Amino acid sequence: MSQDTTISLKVEFGGGLELLFSNKRSHQLTVPATVPKSTEDNATKQADITFLIRYLRDNLLQERQELFMENETVRPGILVLVNDTDWELEGEGEYVLKNGDEVVFISTLHGG
Amino acid sequence: MADCGNPNVEQDALMQRRKKYDRTRQCVKCHDQLGNVVIRHAVYCKGCFFPTVVGKFRRVLEPSISKDKSKKGLKATGNLCLAFSGGLGSSVLLDLIGSNYFAAEGDAGHDWSRGRGGGTEHPRNEPVWEHATVCYVEVCNAIPGARDRTEEIRQIVSRLASYAKFLPLRLEDAFDHAWWERVGRSKPHGQLFVDLGHQDLLLSIRNTSSSPVAALKAYLASLPTQTAVPTAIHNLIRLLLLHTAQLTNSSHLLLGTSLTSLSISLISSIAQGGGFVVREEAQENWQPDSTSSQKVAVSRPLRDVGMKECAIWAWWRGLEVVGKENYLGGKQGIGALTKGFIIGLERDYPSTVSTIARTCAKLAPKEASDGLCTLCERPVQPGVQDWKERISIRQFDEKAAIARSQPGLIQRLCYACHTTLTSPSSRGGVGQSAIDAVQLPVWVESRVLGSDEMKDVVAEFLLDDED
Ligand SMILES: [Zn+2]
Ligand SMILES: [Zn+2]
Repeated sequence: MSQDTTISLKVEFGGGLELLFSNKRSHQLTVPATVPKSTEDNATKQADITFLIRYLRDNLLQERQELFMENETVRPGILVLVNDTDWELEGEGEYVLKNGDEVVFISTLHGG
Repeated sequence: MADCGNPNVEQDALMQRRKKYDRTRQCVKCHDQLGNVVIRHAVYCKGCFFPTVVGKFRRVLEPSISKDKSKKGLKATGNLCLAFSGGLGSSVLLDLIGSNYFAAEGDAGHDWSRGRGGGTEHPRNEPVWEHATVCYVEVCNAIPGARDRTEEIRQIVSRLASYAKFLPLRLEDAFDHAWWERVGRSKPHGQLFVDLGHQDLLLSIRNTSSSPVAALKAYLASLPTQTAVPTAIHNLIRLLLLHTAQLTNSSHLLLGTSLTSLSISLISSIAQGGGFVVREEAQENWQPDSTSSQKVAVSRPLRDVGMKECAIWAWWRGLEVVGKENYLGGKQGIGALTKGFIIGLERDYPSTVSTIARTCAKLAPKEASDGLCTLCERPVQPGVQDWKERISIRQFDEKAAIARSQPGLIQRLCYACHTTLTSPSSRGGVGQSAIDAVQLPVWVESRVLGSDEMKDVVAEFLLDDED
């Protein structure tokens, strides 16, 4: 049953974003496969990247959440790769997480 | 402007989510692989991404290098100077230059993601540039709480650009006669000071024993607005780099400015009165003085490559990016506001940012320039003084009447530098004389005192430290 109720993920941070996450680039996570759609009602959805972003903020982020999140998604200037592919090709926040996925968050805000 | 940071939030909630890419998930280049990344609506696979970035980079850089007449290929007329901040763009710049023009012997193939490159200009025998220097300007003394990162940067550069010599500078070198002599200039007599409280920005020479760090701090502290400080720092860095390029006999000074950061600096420069030099902001040729033979071509070979492409490049190539010191100052400075705005715009309307840079590239001032600004050494818009006179109500100032014959810096500044130093909105009227005179960067000294006529006039106003 555990296969169905939880998802194992590898989450990585780059471009300086790791500084907000205990200065650790790579994190191994287990998250629930089904999560509440919103905080208001009991409806559920499959865990997606929108959920993961909130999960990271609530569980792993050490400081200054405004540098990671804005308006329920990542802040502009942060790129997301899912299994080495731009999340813009995967439906962005609506991408449904699968067991063994690798999700990378890279900040571009370090400038030139 | 902060509210414009994310122009699309409300619409997104109402409208169906727009796709960020055109047509299919197939790569637009090979039409074979599924894409891995979306760049301004176009989809690329990982294999096609690397040569696409290299192509954009070389298309900007190589037209500024002359062709070698005898052999095939490119041969620059001087050495190479690379500006490095530790930031994303300049890290990618060092990597691209290394793998395209200085790659190691026995290079087998083009597997970019494995850290090997090599284009057709890749040196078999004859390098495009004989020597390369990586120049880093330490800004810690200009930013409260910042630490000195020179040694950390030296380590990074030794890994990222083993082909180059590392040359660290410090922002306070701009006020250091010893540095000025190191770049081959003659030592001025005394330091040149400017009275920022006076509307003509009166000049005087003093003999002080204050350190370059103290002079730097006093200079920045005397600036009138939050926006002026990062602009002044940016200008000091630019001139330190240009003089270093000259010192190292470089024909090229390359900056790691990406398309995104170029758009940010263009918009923020225009907002601060730098409209006359928008072309120089993108590309310029700098000649230290009319007698020097070597011109320095300042190029931003990443100006068609966005921040997103740089970040993906760095990630896939496994580059170590330490980040640069943020000197944009408070959140309300024009630089910081513009950055927030452009980054938001780039996410939601990715093509708009390249339109900004291209539009600015087409802007050309109508009139020829009146010579160079002594502070930033960029062209001065003709008749800046007439214009300033028309829009500002000059106060009658007894001090001005008395000091009428004392030379002022005001005649020798471009509009943008004048704004940086004085900003009429925040510093008009009362309390002006409270600002003490501050020391100017050494190149201003050299330009002002370079003409004998000026030297004599300013010398009459030679003041002792206890003036
Ligand atoms: Zn392809
Ligand atoms: Zn100027």
